[in-house]
Amino acid sequence: MSAPPIKLSVRNVTKTFRVRKGSDTSLLNVLRNVNFDVRQGEIVSLIGESGCGKTTLLRIVQGLIRLDSGDLLIDGAAVKRSGRDRGFVFQQASLLPWRTARQNVEFGLELQGMPKQARADRAMQLLELVSLAHAADQFPHQMSGGMQQRIGLARALAIDPAILLMDEPFSALDAQTREVLQTELMRIHAQTAKTTLFVTHDLDEAIFLSDRVVVLAARPGRVKKIIDIPFAHPRPELTALRGDPAFQAIRAEIWSLISTPPVAVAA
Amino acid sequence: MTTLSFADPMGSDMSENRIASDPAPIDDADARLEEIGPPPRARSKAWIVRLASIVVVVGAWEIFGRQVNPLFMSSPSAIATAAVRLIADGELFEALKSSLWTLLVGFITASAIGVVLGLLIGRYKTMDAATDWLVNALYSTPLIAIMPLVILWFGLGDAAKLFIVCILAVFPVLINTAAGVRNVPTQLIDVSAAFAANERQVFLKIIVPATLPYIMTGLRLGIGRSIIGMVVAEFFTAITGLGAMIVKYGNQYDTAAMFVPILVLMFLGIGLTTLLKRAEEHFAPWRGQED
Ligand SMILES: Nc1ncnc2c1ncn2[C@@H]1O[C@H](COP(=O)(O)OP(=O)(O)OP(=O)(O)O)[C@@H](O)[C@H]1O
Ligand SMILES: [Mg+2]
Repeated sequence: MSAPPIKLSVRNVTKTFRVRKGSDTSLLNVLRNVNFDVRQGEIVSLIGESGCGKTTLLRIVQGLIRLDSGDLLIDGAAVKRSGRDRGFVFQQASLLPWRTARQNVEFGLELQGMPKQARADRAMQLLELVSLAHAADQFPHQMSGGMQQRIGLARALAIDPAILLMDEPFSALDAQTREVLQTELMRIHAQTAKTTLFVTHDLDEAIFLSDRVVVLAARPGRVKKIIDIPFAHPRPELTALRGDPAFQAIRAEIWSLISTPPVAVAA
Repeated sequence: MTTLSFADPMGSDMSENRIASDPAPIDDADARLEEIGPPPRARSKAWIVRLASIVVVVGAWEIFGRQVNPLFMSSPSAIATAAVRLIADGELFEALKSSLWTLLVGFITASAIGVVLGLLIGRYKTMDAATDWLVNALYSTPLIAIMPLVILWFGLGDAAKLFIVCILAVFPVLINTAAGVRNVPTQLIDVSAAFAANERQVFLKIIVPATLPYIMTGLRLGIGRSIIGMVVAEFFTAITGLGAMIVKYGNQYDTAAMFVPILVLMFLGIGLTTLLKRAEEHFAPWRGQED
C-alpha cells in the first residue's frame, strides 16, 4: 500500500503574540517550530492542553492569522492568505443569524459568484449530506447546537475545499450529540475523503476520528509526538472501540504525554 | 413572521464565556421576554384597561375643558368640530401635505447620510478618530439653537427647513449605525475572512445585515427628532404646513382649531414610530426585543 501524497505541510511554524498589559507589552511565544504533514484524505487531530496554541495553529493554516516564520505548503506550494481551498468549521457554529440553513450553506458559493439556482442545488445536496434537508428553511435560532454545527460543516464543505479545518466543533455539545456527530463526521469523511485537520481536547474523539494524532506541548506550543492510530476504516462505534486494549493503550500514552509537566525551556 | 423564538445564538455564545458569579443578564433578558408575550387573555385585558383609561381621560378633559375660557383650553368636542371644518375646507390636508414633504425629504436624506457615514465610521478607526469629537459635540447640542444661523445661511425657504430636519435626524441614525457596526460579532467577521470575502462582500453580506436592527433603531429615534425640526422650522421660517396652522390659529385665539394640527402631529409621531418599531422587529427576529 503506497502512502497517499502529502496535502498539507506545516514547516517550522513559529508565532509570537504581542500582549499589551497596561502600558508595557510583553511577547508571548505561542508556537515554536511546529512541523507535521497531513496526507491526502487523512484526518489528523491536534490535541494538547488548553492554551497550547491549537486554535492559533489552525487559524494560521486558514490564513486568519499571519505566521512569524516557517512555511505552510498545500500540494507543495506555499500559501500565504486565506483561501477557498480551505474550509473552516468554527467552535461556535458562527452561522449568520439572518440567513436560513440553506442560505448559510450558500454563503461561500455566493462569494464565489455561483449563480443562484446552482448554489441552491448544491446547498441542498450538502444539507442532505449532513442529514438536515428538512431544516433548509429554518433560522439558526430555531436550531439545536448540534444542528448548527452540521450546518457549519455543510457550509465549509459546500465550497469543496481541498482541506477541511475544524476547531473543536463538537466541544460545546452534550455527550450524546457529540458521539452522534462524530459518527456522522466519519460517514461524511468516508463519502467525501476530505483531508481534515481537526482540533480537539477530547482524547477519545481524537483517537476515534484520526489517522494520526499530533500531540502538542504547551508554552511554547510545539509538537511533542505524532501518534499513528492503527484502526482500520470503517471503524466500530466509539463505545465498542473503547473496549479495545489497543485503544486503551493509545489513550494512556496520549494522556501521559499531555499531563507531563512542560519541560523547562532554556531562556 | 409567525413564531418568534428568543433563543439568541449570539447570546448563548456570550453566556458561554461568562463567569459563574456573573449575574448573567442574558437570563434576565429571557425572563423579561417571557413577560412581553403574555397569554392572549391577559393581552385583551390590558386593552380593556387601556380603553377605559382613554375614556376617563378624554371625558375628564371634556368636562374640564367646558368650564374654562375657550381661549386657554379647548374641549375634545370643540376640537372635533374644528377638525371637521378644517378637513372640509381642505386647509388641514394642504398643510399636512406640505409638512410631510419637508419631513420625508429631510428624513430620507438624513437617513441616507447617517447610514453611509455610520457604516464608514464604525468600520474604520481613522474615520472614527477624525470625527467622533464632532459627532458627539453636535449630538449633544440642542441643534434647534442654530435655527437663526440656518436662516442666515439658507434664507426662509424650503432649504432651511430641510436642513434643520436633516441635521436633527442625522445624528441618532449615524451614531446607532456606527454602534451597530462596532457590535458585529468578531466571529461573523472571522467567517467572512475564512471564506476569503473581499471588503465589499464583508460590508454587503456581513456588516450591513448585522447592523440593520441598529439602523432601524436609529431611524426610529431620528424620525421623532425630524418632526420636532419640522415644526420648529415651520414656526421660524416662511410659515407653512402644520406649524403655520398652529401659529395662525394661536394668533387668532382659536384654541380649538389650534389643537387640530397638534393632534395630527401627535398621530404622525405615533404612527411613524410604530411603523419603524415594527420594521425593527421584522428585520431582526433573531435578536428578540431588546431596547
Ligand atoms: N490575538 C491574540 N493576542 C494575544 N494572545 C493570544 C491571541 N490569541 C491567542 N493568544 C494566546 O495564545 C495562547 C494560545 O491560544 P489558543 O487559542 O491557540 O489556545 P488553544 O490551544 O486553542 O486553547 P483552547 O483549548 O482553550 O481552545 C493563549 O495563551 C492565548 O491567550
Ligand atoms: Mg482553541
